[in-house]
Amino acid sequence: MAFPHRPDAPELPDFSMLKRLARDQLIYLLEQQHEVDKLYKVESKPAVSSSEQLCFLVRPRIKNMRYIANLVNADKLAGRTRKYKVIFSPQKFYACEMVLEEEGIYGDVSCDEWAFSLLPLDVDLLSMELPEFFRDYFLEGDQRWINTVAQALHLLSTLYGPFPNCYGIGRCAKMSYELWRKLEDEEDGETKGRRPEIGHIFLLDRDMDFVTALCSQVVYEGLVDDTFRIKCGSVDFGPEVTSSDKSLKVLLNAEDKVFNEIRNEHFSNVFGFLSQKARNLQAQYDRRRGMDIKQMKNFVSQELKGLKQEHRLLSLHIGACESIMKKKTKQDFQELIKTEHALLEGFNIRESTSYIEEHIDRQVSPIESLRLMCLLSITENGLIPKDYRSLKTQYLQSYGPEHLLTFSNLRRAGLLTEQAPGDTLTAVESKVSKLVTDKAAGKITDAFSSLAKRSNFRAISKKLNLIPRVDGEYDLKVPRDMAYVFSGAYVPLSCRIIEQVLERRSWQGLDEVVRLLNCSELAFTDMTKEDKASSESLRLILVVFLGGCTFSEISALRFLGREKGYRFIFLTTAVTNSARLMEAMSEVKA
Amino acid sequence: MDCYTANWNPLGDSAFYRKYELYSMDWDLKEELRDCLVAAAPYGGPIALLRNPWRKEKAASVRPVLEIYSASGMPLASLLWKSGPVVSLGWSAEEELLCVQEDGVVLVYGLHGDFRRHFSMGNEVLQNRVLDARIFHTEFGSGVAILTGAHRFTLSANVGDLKLRRMPEVPGLQSAPSCWTTLCQDRVAHILLAVGPDLYLLDHAACSSVTPPGLAPGVSSFLQMAVSFTYRHLALFTDTGYIWMGTASLKEKLCEFNCNIRAPPKQMVWCSRPRSKERAVVVAWERRLMVVGDAPESIQFVLDEDSYLVPELDGVRIFSRSTHEFLHEVPVASEEIFKIASMAPGALLLEAQKEYEKESQKADEYLREIQELGQLTQAVQQCIEAAGHEHRPDMQKSLLRAASFGKCFLDRFPPDSFVRMCQDLRVLNAVRDYHIGIPLTYSHRYKQLTIQVLLDRLVLRRLYPLAIQICEYLRLPEVQGVSRILAHWACYKVQQKDVSDEDVARAINQKLGDTPGVSYSDIAARAYGCGRTELAIKLLEYEPRSGEQVPLLLKMKRSKLALSKAIESGDTDLVFTVLLHLKNELNRGDFFMTLRNQPMALSLYRQFCKYQELETLKDLYNQDDNHQELGSFHIRASYAAEERIEGRVAALQTAADAFYKAKNEFAAKATEDQMRLLRLQRRLEDELGGRFLDLSLHDTVTTLILGGHNKRAEQLARDFRIPDKRLWWLKLTALADLEDWEELEKFSKSKKSPIGYLPFVEICMKQHNKYEAKKYTSRVGPEQKVKALLLVGDVAQAADVAIEHRNEAELSLVLSHCTGATDGATADKIQRARAQAQKK
Repeated sequence: MAFPHRPDAPELPDFSMLKRLARDQLIYLLEQQHEVDKLYKVESKPAVSSSEQLCFLVRPRIKNMRYIANLVNADKLAGRTRKYKVIFSPQKFYACEMVLEEEGIYGDVSCDEWAFSLLPLDVDLLSMELPEFFRDYFLEGDQRWINTVAQALHLLSTLYGPFPNCYGIGRCAKMSYELWRKLEDEEDGETKGRRPEIGHIFLLDRDMDFVTALCSQVVYEGLVDDTFRIKCGSVDFGPEVTSSDKSLKVLLNAEDKVFNEIRNEHFSNVFGFLSQKARNLQAQYDRRRGMDIKQMKNFVSQELKGLKQEHRLLSLHIGACESIMKKKTKQDFQELIKTEHALLEGFNIRESTSYIEEHIDRQVSPIESLRLMCLLSITENGLIPKDYRSLKTQYLQSYGPEHLLTFSNLRRAGLLTEQAPGDTLTAVESKVSKLVTDKAAGKITDAFSSLAKRSNFRAISKKLNLIPRVDGEYDLKVPRDMAYVFSGAYVPLSCRIIEQVLERRSWQGLDEVVRLLNCSELAFTDMTKEDKASSESLRLILVVFLGGCTFSEISALRFLGREKGYRFIFLTTAVTNSARLMEAMSEVKA
Repeated sequence: MDCYTANWNPLGDSAFYRKYELYSMDWDLKEELRDCLVAAAPYGGPIALLRNPWRKEKAASVRPVLEIYSASGMPLASLLWKSGPVVSLGWSAEEELLCVQEDGVVLVYGLHGDFRRHFSMGNEVLQNRVLDARIFHTEFGSGVAILTGAHRFTLSANVGDLKLRRMPEVPGLQSAPSCWTTLCQDRVAHILLAVGPDLYLLDHAACSSVTPPGLAPGVSSFLQMAVSFTYRHLALFTDTGYIWMGTASLKEKLCEFNCNIRAPPKQMVWCSRPRSKERAVVVAWERRLMVVGDAPESIQFVLDEDSYLVPELDGVRIFSRSTHEFLHEVPVASEEIFKIASMAPGALLLEAQKEYEKESQKADEYLREIQELGQLTQAVQQCIEAAGHEHRPDMQKSLLRAASFGKCFLDRFPPDSFVRMCQDLRVLNAVRDYHIGIPLTYSHRYKQLTIQVLLDRLVLRRLYPLAIQICEYLRLPEVQGVSRILAHWACYKVQQKDVSDEDVARAINQKLGDTPGVSYSDIAARAYGCGRTELAIKLLEYEPRSGEQVPLLLKMKRSKLALSKAIESGDTDLVFTVLLHLKNELNRGDFFMTLRNQPMALSLYRQFCKYQELETLKDLYNQDDNHQELGSFHIRASYAAEERIEGRVAALQTAADAFYKAKNEFAAKATEDQMRLLRLQRRLEDELGGRFLDLSLHDTVTTLILGGHNKRAEQLARDFRIPDKRLWWLKLTALADLEDWEELEKFSKSKKSPIGYLPFVEICMKQHNKYEAKKYTSRVGPEQKVKALLLVGDVAQAADVAIEHRNEAELSLVLSHCTGATDGATADKIQRARAQAQKK
């Protein structure tokens, strides 16, 4: 199992520097400057602290400002005087200061900034930990984080040298890229002349490929995320996993040897692998018998600790597997996957539609129902008017009328739309593309124009051959292509685009695909002439997902890397999955 | 060469003082210096003269005239003094002229006589008038000290950051002190004053009487006092013609001298340098100049005309109507080389080089002599250093030539000191030039001042080409050097009001181009400061970073332009800043119209309103006729803002109306349904009790069934046209939850199930009721029969059905459910059936 990398695969850059940088900055801010001794979570309840000074470490959001304002004003009413510090991360926004001013506490608080943007979650995964990016940009049309992305890219290029080859697709990708270039030009000289460590950078907007993100994940790491929710690279395993009465927080990364071998595996292989592993472990323990004293001493001092550690991890992952199995069979997981595959391949649409309807009628889960509806809409270029209305009605009856707003959000983001008669659509389309060529309008957020966007999934799928033709059983133990992350039924669109562009070293020959993605003006390639990049660095690729990426996509690209001798590094605004996307779009009662 | 040391005067045993001419002045002064108020800036700075300062008549011809000259006497500015009577003049560290008026107002002028600003030294000064004033320099900047008519002192240690301090009163002071000065100790400014035979030290808190140690007896008053450039030393001149020299702390005496002249000196200043061998005080009377130190004999010079002393860090400048001279202690390196009969290595090397030029073999002898002593390195270093101390280029050259000659005989002499000295001397000679007139000495003033400040001073004198040449010659990085100077030039250029906006903008762009480090927005800000808004906007066009353009545009009230620039920059924060500006500046309607054309700004502002100004958000949607969003807005209000049912229904009604306007029938209908549901839920709560409000329709019906209100539930389902399928699922689940198996069975038989009977089996099994589940298996349709049988665990029958169906998929499904021993027979049966099927 666990495929080894090709012997010539390049080494990954050392990202621990980023971690140290962030940690030192934070410690400095908290301890040296503000003398913080205790940390509380910012929640909507009053902080109980008798401390003379309160220090808030917050994202620059108006909501947080109001929370702080309420707290300060409550203190004022009670006649308390304290010192208040607000540390904004990654930066302070003028709007926040405005709110503090309007709430009449601007003079009472002092502000600071913590320019922290990149958290290395794993050896090849950097996260900006900005889950709000998705809603802010793709729904509200708020571009505030683009600057942060540009700053993060700038930081990477100062640390690891310039990127000789740049590709990207999507409006946000293009804007971020341009802003970053501007930053580099303003501070030129720093990166110039440095040898590039990372040969390629690829920027991709999440709205290029919603389909992949909406599918149920069946690769182990993705499945763990779907089931237990991985937060910042760690997961809380509840009592049902740990088989004790305590929950356990477990870090999931390459350092966990057991996890590292199964994370990219299709779930059907994981159990077999784990039991094999358990047998091996037992055999290693068993070697104790027949050891003499000296060998025993050696064993205890050198191997035992490692074995015990492995043992512990093994039992955790077996527990997690069991728990996943139990949950999935309860929901008739097979049926669900079958429907998803039918949607991806585009057959039995009626049957799938009634499956979804039943799903809603039975109130299985609001988020799941929504996800299936969106998947149906995108793969089918929008729902036919009758279904659009009836599914929505059913949904409102099941889960509450406030979701009327959810549907309005989904429509705006292009996730759940109604098929419109062909002619009006093309008219709007041409109008939008005209707008796009106009420079000023080019900066207009596409949140509104996406109304007129067709997903064209079926055509793209055909063009890029996303549904592999299978003769006989797809052997999930020995994957042939990236489709294995979806049981061999579907090659993730995002990953396929990346593969194709890297193969061609440009968008050449992909014009039709780009057009179908509604990105005629938004796909770009930028290569530097000088050839200072070593062949090793040219096989290192930084993929930037704007709006989040899923573990399935990461696994697929890791697989591609192993096949072709590349190494991928992932930079994402946050790790996401279908539930997170849907929740970001949902309106819930406050 | 023999007469080179002719102007050297020994003071004591170890030190020599020399005086040489810097410039001959041709400033055509009509008055004697004594008739003017004079101020000369240190570090070879400019000289300011105020003619006729004491005339009070109003006649224009005799009005005071303020003139500013360079150190070489080149006129820089001349202006008629129209303000009040001036008591004192002085230069700040930034080469700004401070003119202290009698009323305590200080007027600040630039080097070219341009008025900069003014400030007052306070009310107390205004009332009592200024008797005397001093401008002094500290590490923080330049300060002003004032003695008022009430014999009180007021001072400010830094005119850039004006903080007035009134010093404590001197007890029993009836008349003005005979002399006073400012001291600077431990970063605090003090005042030392003499009244009769007593000395007082004033600090912020107190006035203390002090006595200099070892002061000769018989002093009845102090006539003059001088503090050194670095505030370390103090000299006192008494009415007995006795001079006391010591530390400024008054703790130590250095020496004393009796000059036997009882007339009060005109000026007394220190002449010393860091690491001086023999510090001296220079005392000037009308026609006599005396240099005294720790030596029985003083050096005396005769002054041909009225002169003025300017203390410097390493000597004293003396200028009169015709000349400008420099008096200083001869530096060690020069002394070693040029002292008569010196055998110092440097002296020998200089000699050797001269002989070499004469092609004499003596050169070799000298050289050998140095080499035998192993002092060649030292000799070269001495020559290099001495060259720096020479004023005349020919002397510099011969010393450098000697150094270069000596270097040839050294294997490894690092070249940088030589190279740097050559460079520095070129720069120094250039600025010392008569036309430039900045007589800096090498060792201290030039090094102390730093090249950056020197460049600033050139820029201040508008000597841009020279400054750029120096930058290029010294290869300074562009950002620190050339671009900075170009930017200054541009800032000056925009002040030329006689040139048209276009021409200025073009000229600036031509010169500056894309030079890195030049900020067009800074230049534009200057243009705006001069009242040239149009020019500022033109200049901003050249600014490549659109973000930089925004603050100035806002200041110039070009907010709409600022908004598009901010959007172009991609910095949302900046956009927001502009937005809030606009909001305050424009009326609401215009503001909204502006937003309408800028979707990015609009969405930003909406975000803000969503949290902070809900009403504005509504207005925004209204303005755009965006009924869809307006509807959503009211929907949100119906559950977020309103508490009362009536309010909520009203909000929903508004929302429904909006949706109709937006032609969104679906949303309108859904909203109306919700209104009905809300009213109904309210009624249910009233009639039945329990919680109904805010439940979804589905949950409402479920709750009714769970509460046993089946009739009501059915009524509701009919009213809201709940589809059969849903109703069956709903009822099925609810009844199973209640474990009301009887009712469930009745329900199942009420009519043919629209969802089939598999769900019945599933749900019963979920409640672990196999018995009930089995009841329904027979009614499950043929396609799902196998599944149903497997659910209740009847593998054998499932196998039979599958075999009957001859369905391969079903067969394998059953097979996968066969567990080892118990279903062995069934498994065999299936295998056999399969085999048979294949045979066929």
